[in-house]
Amino acid sequence: MIDIITLILQSPFLQRAIIGALMIAVVASTSGSFLVFRGLSFMTSGVAHAALGGAALGLFLQATGIAPWFDPMIGALVFAVFVALVTGYAGETGIGEKMEVAVGVSFALSMSLAVFLMYYIPPVEVPSIWGYLVGDLLLLNNLDTVMLSGTALLLLITTILFNKEFVYVSVDMEGSTAQGLNARAYHYLMLITSALAIALATKAVGAILVYAILVAPAAASNELLNSVRNVLVSVFIIALASQFAGIALSLTIRASPSAVAGILAALSYVVALQIKKMRDRVHIDEELDELLLQSAAEVTHSRSKSLPHDHGH
Amino acid sequence: MSAPLLKAENLAVRYANGAIALHHVNFSVESPTFMAIIGPNGSGKSTLLKTTLGLMNPLRGNISLLGHDSKRNNSEIRKLVRYVPQRDKIGLNVPMKVRDVVLMGRLVKKQLPRLATKNDEKIAKEAISEVAMDDHWERPFPELSGGQRQRVLVARALAGEGSVLMLDEPLSGTDVESQDLIVEALGRYHRENDVSVIMVTHDLNPIHTLVRDFLMLKNTVVGVGTPCDVMDLELVQKLYGPTAKIVEYSGHRYCLTRDTGVDRHD
Repeated sequence: MIDIITLILQSPFLQRAIIGALMIAVVASTSGSFLVFRGLSFMTSGVAHAALGGAALGLFLQATGIAPWFDPMIGALVFAVFVALVTGYAGETGIGEKMEVAVGVSFALSMSLAVFLMYYIPPVEVPSIWGYLVGDLLLLNNLDTVMLSGTALLLLITTILFNKEFVYVSVDMEGSTAQGLNARAYHYLMLITSALAIALATKAVGAILVYAILVAPAAASNELLNSVRNVLVSVFIIALASQFAGIALSLTIRASPSAVAGILAALSYVVALQIKKMRDRVHIDEELDELLLQSAAEVTHSRSKSLPHDHGH
Repeated sequence: MSAPLLKAENLAVRYANGAIALHHVNFSVESPTFMAIIGPNGSGKSTLLKTTLGLMNPLRGNISLLGHDSKRNNSEIRKLVRYVPQRDKIGLNVPMKVRDVVLMGRLVKKQLPRLATKNDEKIAKEAISEVAMDDHWERPFPELSGGQRQRVLVARALAGEGSVLMLDEPLSGTDVESQDLIVEALGRYHRENDVSVIMVTHDLNPIHTLVRDFLMLKNTVVGVGTPCDVMDLELVQKLYGPTAKIVEYSGHRYCLTRDTGVDRHD
């Protein structure tokens, strides 16, 4: 145990990885859970790829000298917010399917733009665009860690303050608006803060891991648990545990911590589905037994009622 | 004299797809009352509610609730109204318990941080027992049957505050038991409290002994009046087509139509 603590204290990259894992667990617990509640898990992937388009635009503006100050990260964040706004606009009536389509369209637009711009970016810069899709917990730098932590904490505070409003908007947008809640504001707040956090998490750990860690634990917990708070806590635990397992394993064998974490998080959903299936089976057995007892009791009851009548004949 | 509960003047509204939902709508209904808006599917009933709440804008004319114009003053209207949307508008992905849904009726109108007091819990529990769902207080809302969910949504409205209850198709897709429980609960609540009820339905039979004012809509006003006025063969056929019939059974008139199903315009 002491060995592990000394190791962590001596390696800044491990400290950053642990902070990064914690922050991504926070993003998964808040943003991931609510996106799954709203049937919008696809937005995670949409935002991550839109960020790529934004980063390409940043590199293009820098490389051509049109706007040398335009950091690719600014582009990534702007495009992420763009996806959130388009999705939000399509979903102002609270209909999930329309939002999914909007995510798809803005995703396609951003990716096309990224590929289009790649022709005009010096070839040596191109790999750094793809860098936005493939990150690693152990490769986080100080700026990544600070930006990710800042957004994750902002998301956490927003969710703590407005969790009821977020739930109401997710469950009944029309009814909430009709009864005086500024549902539209909360709807956009939820989507924009989520998009910012997803874009930064993508830069830090890669699109695939973000998708696996944001969606799978939330979907798994939502299958099995019956309250919003329990889901949020459970997502945090699953996300953190799979990332810590990834980091720990990467120290003992040659393995990417993000890949291991992604596999574990995705497996949590498969396990949850199995548990639910088993639970339902037990439920059905109990219910059938109860029905059998009930009908048996009814038959006895009606027989005892009809017996004197039979004797009369 | 107080302002009418609902008053429309030359109102016209479009659906999102561009078709005209309502045109030349003129009527006025006094408050307090138990009012039903009836008509076949696609006749603009839900649109009338949504326009009143400021969720849709009039193309022409105006509509007001208790003197507040739907366009200029919808924040006032939204303070007064407790609203039950059509059941399929409620998301079932969120793991809410029945108690959370009923409490939402009270908390949604509170200031941040919207904490539930003991009094809120008490009123919410009374509301849930009005629709005979007490045993389900801690159950997950998405696991309930359609009729049970509808009863919980009615309880949410009963638990809330505001002098007008607006319900969009609260009886559609529910079994007879749930229908009776909902109708009885609403009737009792209306009698015992100083509230008006406005209910949209495509089936007038379950409620016609309870309702004081009927508004018959088929994209424009077909008729306004008391139950006796509207249980008229000519009016009913105008609304539901030539196959509609009026039958008398144990002293009441009922309307027979082929109209079934749920209204929706997304």
